[in-house]
Amino acid sequence: MAALLLAAAELVLLMALAPGVVGYTRWVKARLQGRRGAGVLQPYRELRKTFGKSMVIADSASWIFHLAPWVVTASTVAAAALVPVVSVHQPADQLGDLFALMALLILGTVFLALGGLDPGTAFGGMGSSREMTVAALTEPTLAIAVLALALTSGSTSLGAIAGTVLANPANAIGPGHALAFAAFLIAMLAETGRLPIDNPATHLELTMIHEAMILEYSGPYLALLEWAAATKLTLLLVLAANMFAPWGIATAIEPGAVARSVGVILAKLLVLATLLAVLETRVAKLRLFRVPELLAVSFTLALLAATSSFFSR
Amino acid sequence: MDLIFSRLTMTGASAMLLVALAMMWRRHVPAYISAFRLQSAALAFVGAVVAWFGDVPELFLVAALILALKGWIVPRILTRMEARRPDARALQPLVNTEMSLLISGALAVAAYELSRPVAEVVNLPTRGGLPLALALIMVSLFVVVSRRQAIAQIVGFLMLENGIALLALLGAYGVPLVVELGVFLDVLLGVLVMQALVPRMESTVAR
Repeated sequence: MAALLLAAAELVLLMALAPGVVGYTRWVKARLQGRRGAGVLQPYRELRKTFGKSMVIADSASWIFHLAPWVVTASTVAAAALVPVVSVHQPADQLGDLFALMALLILGTVFLALGGLDPGTAFGGMGSSREMTVAALTEPTLAIAVLALALTSGSTSLGAIAGTVLANPANAIGPGHALAFAAFLIAMLAETGRLPIDNPATHLELTMIHEAMILEYSGPYLALLEWAAATKLTLLLVLAANMFAPWGIATAIEPGAVARSVGVILAKLLVLATLLAVLETRVAKLRLFRVPELLAVSFTLALLAATSSFFSR
Repeated sequence: MDLIFSRLTMTGASAMLLVALAMMWRRHVPAYISAFRLQSAALAFVGAVVAWFGDVPELFLVAALILALKGWIVPRILTRMEARRPDARALQPLVNTEMSLLISGALAVAAYELSRPVAEVVNLPTRGGLPLALALIMVSLFVVVSRRQAIAQIVGFLMLENGIALLALLGAYGVPLVVELGVFLDVLLGVLVMQALVPRMESTVAR
């Protein structure tokens, strides 16, 4: 029962933190670029404002257009429920593991692309087509990268993987871990539409991907999609932190350990978001046709990581 | 202790392979040269780790020489060579980037499979890195045959040499110092000769 409550609290924490993580990343980026930048709380204000607006919906839009934001949000929330945030004990283990997580993520991506296609605008179609190109390459990479860790721990449950890395810290240095982390990082950038694959700061660019798909959405639907995107980013950052460096995560459900673990995960998120902002300031966006090449790098790394974990079990 | 030794050498070896793979994605010669410099630094790190944990003090000297020669002198020569190259356009490999990477991935998996019997016989703590060294050798050889420009082939060849040095370090804690010094001299001489021959090679082979 306590585990169940904790899992629910983790989910709420993740969802509540998500806009803050986005706001913090934007703020660090602004500071690095010599601007003052909007406050960290800006995305929350934007969400409140967007939720209160009325919607403008294209005449050509069908029911798919209305369904997409709900499916995207629901699948992201479900995926967020599977990720161990503050404790390795996951009652959701009985519901799903690594593969369920990947399936939920791709479900959201597919419906987002459908929602982009549905109104029949040129930009939406282009965005969806690109998103599918990228997703077809990133989803297997993410899965294989985490599978490399699963092979060492002998379980595909995310909580168990974090627990195994905690129990054998020596496993954390070595090819399986390092290569998988590099692969995961590249795939994560592609999956969440960050630089150098996609530019999250603008929807006025011909090569945009994520922003092109949600161009036709407005009002509460747009707010839902934005929130889902922020949650996805936070979810993957938490996954990166807790799969590859789970130190500080609670192994027992007791108030002290959980409180410390909350502090640790906040610190980890702060570090990762800062690194993300630094990276986004340093690199330029890739030409679209070079994106598959970068993703091929990450796929090869993930494959190698899985191979070396498999052979050195 | 052995566990840390084995993990550290494996990390160094995987960093070397990672550099070789990431290099394939780049398109300009300076990126190739800095990749080689990084890889040599990683090789020196592995040398120092083997020297410390394997208790082979002369390997410290070898690691320092690797750092000086392959991490500094050879990259400098390569940079000078690149500066004199008349047309410094992006490299155009014979096999495109995605295909190169997939082939390298397949080669690395093959290296794991091939070196399994070896890894079962050897019981050094460094045996975990042997497949990575073999993979690095195969991937570098692939770089040599799949690049069109001579200077990229030279970098591939030097990486091949790094791979062989890594295999020697991990498989036998390095070769005798005299042999090692001879190899260094060979590398330096080879690079100097290639430096003289590259303009001619470029004009006859590269198109």
